Amino acid sequence: MDVELIEIRDFIAAYHPFDMLPTEALDTVASNLESRYIRKGRPLIEPGDTVDHVFIVRTGALETRDPANELLARTGEGETVGTITLLRGGPAHNTILAIEDSLLYALPAETFHDLRKRHKQFSYFFQPLGGERLRTGRAVSNQGHGRLDLMAVHLGDMLRRAPVTIAPDATIHAAAARMAEEGVSCLLIPGEEKLIGIITERDLRNRVVAKALPYETPVSAVMTTNPVYLTTDDYLFDAMLLMSRHNIRHLPVLREGALAGVITTTNLVQAQNTSAVYLVGDLYKRDTPEGMRDSLSMVPELILQLVETGASAHTIGHMISTLSDAATVRLMALAEQTLGPPPVPFVWLAAGSQGRHEQTARSDQDNCLVLDDSYNPEKHGEYFRAFTRMVCDGLNICGYVYCPGEVMAMTDQWRQPLKTWKSYFAKWIDQPEPKALMHASVFFDMRPIFGNHGLFHDLRAFVLKKTQGKKIFLAYLASNALSRQPPLGFFRNLVLIRGGEHDNTLDLKHRGIVPIVDLARVYALDAGAEAVNTLDRLEIARDKGSVSKDGAADLRDAWDFISTMRLRHQALHIREGKKANNYVSPELLSNFERTQLKDAFSVVKTMQGALATAYQTGRM
Amino acid sequence: MLRHLLGFDVMRRLLWMSGKPGPLRDYYAVDYATLDTPWPEVEFLAIDLETTGLDPRHHEILSVGFAPVHAGGVRLGQARHFLVRPTRPIPEETAVIHGLLDDHLESAPPLAEVLPHVLRAMAGRVPLAHFSTVEQRFLSFACKRVYGQPMVVPYVDTLRLEHRAQERQQQAVVQGALRLHAARERYGLPRYKAHNAMMDAIAAGELFLAQVAHMDTKKPPRLDEVCQG
Repeated sequence: MDVELIEIRDFIAAYHPFDMLPTEALDTVASNLESRYIRKGRPLIEPGDTVDHVFIVRTGALETRDPANELLARTGEGETVGTITLLRGGPAHNTILAIEDSLLYALPAETFHDLRKRHKQFSYFFQPLGGERLRTGRAVSNQGHGRLDLMAVHLGDMLRRAPVTIAPDATIHAAAARMAEEGVSCLLIPGEEKLIGIITERDLRNRVVAKALPYETPVSAVMTTNPVYLTTDDYLFDAMLLMSRHNIRHLPVLREGALAGVITTTNLVQAQNTSAVYLVGDLYKRDTPEGMRDSLSMVPELILQLVETGASAHTIGHMISTLSDAATVRLMALAEQTLGPPPVPFVWLAAGSQGRHEQTARSDQDNCLVLDDSYNPEKHGEYFRAFTRMVCDGLNICGYVYCPGEVMAMTDQWRQPLKTWKSYFAKWIDQPEPKALMHASVFFDMRPIFGNHGLFHDLRAFVLKKTQGKKIFLAYLASNALSRQPPLGFFRNLVLIRGGEHDNTLDLKHRGIVPIVDLARVYALDAGAEAVNTLDRLEIARDKGSVSKDGAADLRDAWDFISTMRLRHQALHIREGKKANNYVSPELLSNFERTQLKDAFSVVKTMQGALATAYQTGRM
Repeated sequence: MLRHLLGFDVMRRLLWMSGKPGPLRDYYAVDYATLDTPWPEVEFLAIDLETTGLDPRHHEILSVGFAPVHAGGVRLGQARHFLVRPTRPIPEETAVIHGLLDDHLESAPPLAEVLPHVLRAMAGRVPLAHFSTVEQRFLSFACKRVYGQPMVVPYVDTLRLEHRAQERQQQAVVQGALRLHAARERYGLPRYKAHNAMMDAIAAGELFLAQVAHMDTKKPPRLDEVCQG
């Protein structure tokens, strides 16, 4: 390359993914380029064209439209077009035209392919979809933390060997012999249809040897019956919490109802980030809300640690929400100590982000109480008023401030018997006015925390039956889901908040995360899915076909990317002693992060467009 | 103009027949595209010289930069830049403009060694320059001195094209508006920071692409049309 092309090389090198190329490769790029000029309004590529170059925009802007003239993408300075067709092969499907007078640098296909072959990170960037790009982008930025991500690991992946079993009528002598022979510390006892028991080394010591039972005693006499278990799809984190709460060292794992193996504490020792589990244990020991507030004051530090070790936003949301659950449960136990046992069955439900397992450093409380229909306001009203007041006040002291929208069990409106709740939902679904939709979006994300889960299942079954296939309600909900748009401008630039306290920032929560949560809710309700967690909803909705496979994967990645960025931002604020918020200044992001953020936002935009089409929301 | 260009052809044939074997005769041996060729099929060479002044009899070439233009693209990879060793020290004000220093130029080859490279690049191509009078005069003068014959070739002049374009739009042509960078700005072309013969040749090549793109013709303009502007 002639040394004088440095200026052009340096331009290219400033943009992702060319910034990942070594200098020699950049020289190769520059010396294979050709300047092309395209006038505003003229096509660069039309359907059927053979594409033998990719084009880097030097000045100006392009847009890509599909054959139905639907806008697919806008491309500005430093960005590249033509890659999708080139990678797919064959003639172009879409039209790319200049929306401004543009100077482009054309890079020949051979050079492009050669760069992809030689430079892995470069080739990752040019995967066909924005979502794909996000996935690999995250993989790069998470490189090297090398720790187990507790929420990323399914129990199924942790199982080292097939479970060792024994019949219930076998002798404990035979059981001990089998443990010795197999080198295991526990045996499972399968029944005809389900797991009926578990026997461990500790049982042999405490229940057999210490009690001097004869060796001929059957296993069924000393085993733990109906042991708690999880499934292969549960996460390692769930296992840790369950084992900690029940003080057990062996946890059976089932796959589709059949025994799959056992998770032991030894498995867990390898796993890190146990602080959340200890924190739960600590919460259960506290006797006052103030004491609980002290143990919860560790939460920001915990988030910092988790963010630093590369835990996903999914993991962190789950952990933080689980801590809130524990605090809520503990407050209810304390309330019961003061007020006595509840006169009628009830279930405490978490709504909003806690319900979805998506809490972050800054969360207020969203909750409600469903009472058994035997509830009599005159007889039981006083008890539950006092009970919910204690719990909500306690949560407020702990740092989960009162919900500004008053969605709290301590309000009369949200502390009602099951039949009233059913009528609430029936009304929201049948008469979806704006306020109803607002309530619906909070209460559709509910999850039982404590009490009689049967009440919750009853309510949920009622709601899902009512919403599934209810196109008019879903259409209103869809329209509501489109009310918040990602902050992408006409030229795919980031649109910033102007003026006020958050001048020149992006609201990652309301313009990034909330739109995805809203989309997932519509898909899930359409599919009649019970899940409330956004990623779970996307997965189920994908399996049931209410969202495309690619769409679900892209949204998942977009959610993950934006949420992780928000958590990192919050963690940094906390470290600086500031209050965590959702406003990020793009100036503080790298070029790479900005590109990814735009990708994430354009995924959301695309999926909102698809939803609008599917539900014809424009007609409302 | 057409007749004028035909005249070029006759002249070039004569010069080729009478020329001594060497780089200039080789240059004349290759014809460029005929005037009715659509412009994307024509091979152009964007070229820029840096000189110590405007008069080839008194001033010297300090550097030559060029870049081929073909099929609607400026071939950046084939762009080249040559420094030329002057026979006299360069005036200070020129050095300031071009950022060329005596010691850079001292190690450069003399014009006679650079010229064959330039002629090889120009063979079969229509030269293109912004205010082409400078290139035309200096190169012809250099050929006459080194090979004993002038260089006869029509140039596409982007400055002239720009002047015509502005006249057509009935805009008053203000002073400085025809300068390379000012003209480029009107077409949304980037401002290249480097000021050297090669980047200026590339800049002129890109300006040419933009000017042609803005000519309102149904079919791609032919060579004679882009020569005329």
